[in-house]
Amino acid sequence: MQTSNTLALMQSVATLALMLSLSFAYLINPLEDSIFFSVLSSFSKSLYNSNVINELNTSVIAGIITGLFLGTTNILLSSSKKIYNYVLISLILLFTFIFIGYVFSVEGIPYEPLQQFFFWVLVGLPVSTGMVGIWQNKIGNQVISAFLILSMPLGLSGNTNEQIYPILGFVFSFMLFLELSYGHTRYSRLARIMSYSKEYEDVLVWFLTTLIVTLAFTMILTSLAFLFHDLLRTLLPYSFSNSIEYNTIYGQALSVLVFFMLWAVVQILFSRGYLARQVED
Amino acid sequence: MWTRKAIIYVGLGVILVLFAPFINNLQLFLLGTTMLAFVAVHSLVNTRPIDVKITRSFNDDQVFENSSVSIDFVVQNKGRSVGFLEIYDNLPSEVEVRSGLNHSVIRLRQNETVVNQYLLDCRLRGQFRLGNPRLRIYNPSFLFYYESEIESKSSLVVLPQIEEIEGVDFSTDFPKMYQGAMPIRRIGTSGEFYGIREYFPGDDFKNINWRVFGRTRKLMVNQFEREDISDIMLVLDAREITGTGTILRNPLNYSCKAAASLVNFFLRTRNRVGLITYGDSVNVISPDTGERHLYKILTALAEIKASGSLGLHTVLGDLRNFTPRSPVMVISTLENDKTSATALREITARGFKLTVIAPDTLDYDRDSRIISPTVYFTASASLDNKITEARSLGARAMRWNPDSVLSTSLAEVIR
Repeated sequence: MQTSNTLALMQSVATLALMLSLSFAYLINPLEDSIFFSVLSSFSKSLYNSNVINELNTSVIAGIITGLFLGTTNILLSSSKKIYNYVLISLILLFTFIFIGYVFSVEGIPYEPLQQFFFWVLVGLPVSTGMVGIWQNKIGNQVISAFLILSMPLGLSGNTNEQIYPILGFVFSFMLFLELSYGHTRYSRLARIMSYSKEYEDVLVWFLTTLIVTLAFTMILTSLAFLFHDLLRTLLPYSFSNSIEYNTIYGQALSVLVFFMLWAVVQILFSRGYLARQVED
Repeated sequence: MWTRKAIIYVGLGVILVLFAPFINNLQLFLLGTTMLAFVAVHSLVNTRPIDVKITRSFNDDQVFENSSVSIDFVVQNKGRSVGFLEIYDNLPSEVEVRSGLNHSVIRLRQNETVVNQYLLDCRLRGQFRLGNPRLRIYNPSFLFYYESEIESKSSLVVLPQIEEIEGVDFSTDFPKMYQGAMPIRRIGTSGEFYGIREYFPGDDFKNINWRVFGRTRKLMVNQFEREDISDIMLVLDAREITGTGTILRNPLNYSCKAAASLVNFFLRTRNRVGLITYGDSVNVISPDTGERHLYKILTALAEIKASGSLGLHTVLGDLRNFTPRSPVMVISTLENDKTSATALREITARGFKLTVIAPDTLDYDRDSRIISPTVYFTASASLDNKITEARSLGARAMRWNPDSVLSTSLAEVIR
């Protein structure tokens, strides 16, 4: 496989992981429970005196597809700065006219389909932003997209062990998105310097292979860290292990931090200086 | 070393693990745990010490100015397999990479040897040091890295460019006869025919080629080879002022090029050539002959740097021991040298056959706005005066524009 093909594959898989992570995020936290959309709904309700959001279709899939469409359009248009500017000016003009039409109560404008479209645009915003980040190597967009994926679906009701599989799916796809998009940015820059040589292709293949293996090991280690809580229960004094604090998610959080602290101590003891040792001649 | 990404991952992981319980969010909690686990796993990937040996080899021992040299950059892995190894070969700023890359990212398996080949353009004479190659090892997700230098210095000597000189006679009227003299394909008075040329008043009648005259009705004279050798001393000005101009176009560089071309020409014609340089000190290479001597002088020319302000008179002491009445060639702009007139007079007074070559970069300096038109005018007039003064002493003196062919310019001044 050629270097450019491998890089394109990384971008495609990163885009897929991005869409999957958003889907899982909304599967874990339903859109109706989201703080972000609740605030948006309250705002629109106070503005229009009617519950606009609740009357719209809240399909996450439609939102993701809209995001995919907008992201793709943005990337394609960006290939020509002139066309991109023309389209941008046209859109600004269109929205200005719609606003003027709204002020003057023009009835011919299809407000409802537009509101529906805007809602889907909002739902798919992490996808469209992330796609620009992935395909145009913009780390800023990747960070914004990751932040939106985490924050937009966030609700106050929380989630429990019952949703463990969607949560694991989310974690895996989210990490894959982060790693592939950032990895693509770094490796594609190096590929340009290396003139897409065959030797460099080897490095890329090594990266992809290692990423899959390390992600698998990461999931195992996460499970171990998660289960460490139960192990700790058997080691700790009865009064402590049976306390209310220990048996909630707070106790779990502390166990995880203790696990990684122990990991750091073991690593310092057994592989001291691995990273700092002099590279030999 | 930790990268910023690793620090962000650990920071975000800890924040998520500590914050998630407040909103009872297992999703964020697990994400935080996964981020910490990811960093923990990656701290074990491609971070162990490596054992790499790096050597360089050049395709040619002698590299001349304005030529290229191919470098084989050999990376030998004697330790564990390395997934991501970034290598940067530390090159001096005076050389340019023409093809290939001195920067590469490779995967190096156990006991594997990788040869990275690249071509260097050497546009400037000198002795250069190729520094220690720099290594950077990243782990695959750019969470940790390690940078190091590997001890592998090489030296590259770029000899001054040699221009072919033909048919220029600098020889003395008092040649040293060589034991078992041999024809050296130069115009002279031996019995060996060299060629014919047009008749000039004063030419010996007995040399007129009557057969050609009969055929063409033009008076032509025969020329014969000359069989002699001389001791020739080149005096090269390496004062600080000769470095004025750009790094490529300055009087010193052109002086070295002229000296290299002349040395090559004289040695090829079996003369003995010596070199005296003056600047911050006076260095003498005694007259000798042969290929080895040529490279000795070329290496000395490659290493010359513009420094100091010793005048031309400082070489007089060394010229005292030089074969009397032999040719002495001074390659200097004679600029800002108050002793030059006295020194030139002294050289001619001792009977040396003096030639002064003044490399003239003033036009280029003015066009490139290195010097102002006023400075150009003053410097040019001063140089003309020096040349006239040298000629008045009986020396053959010339302003040499380095853009023109040296032998053509020399032929003009010798005629």
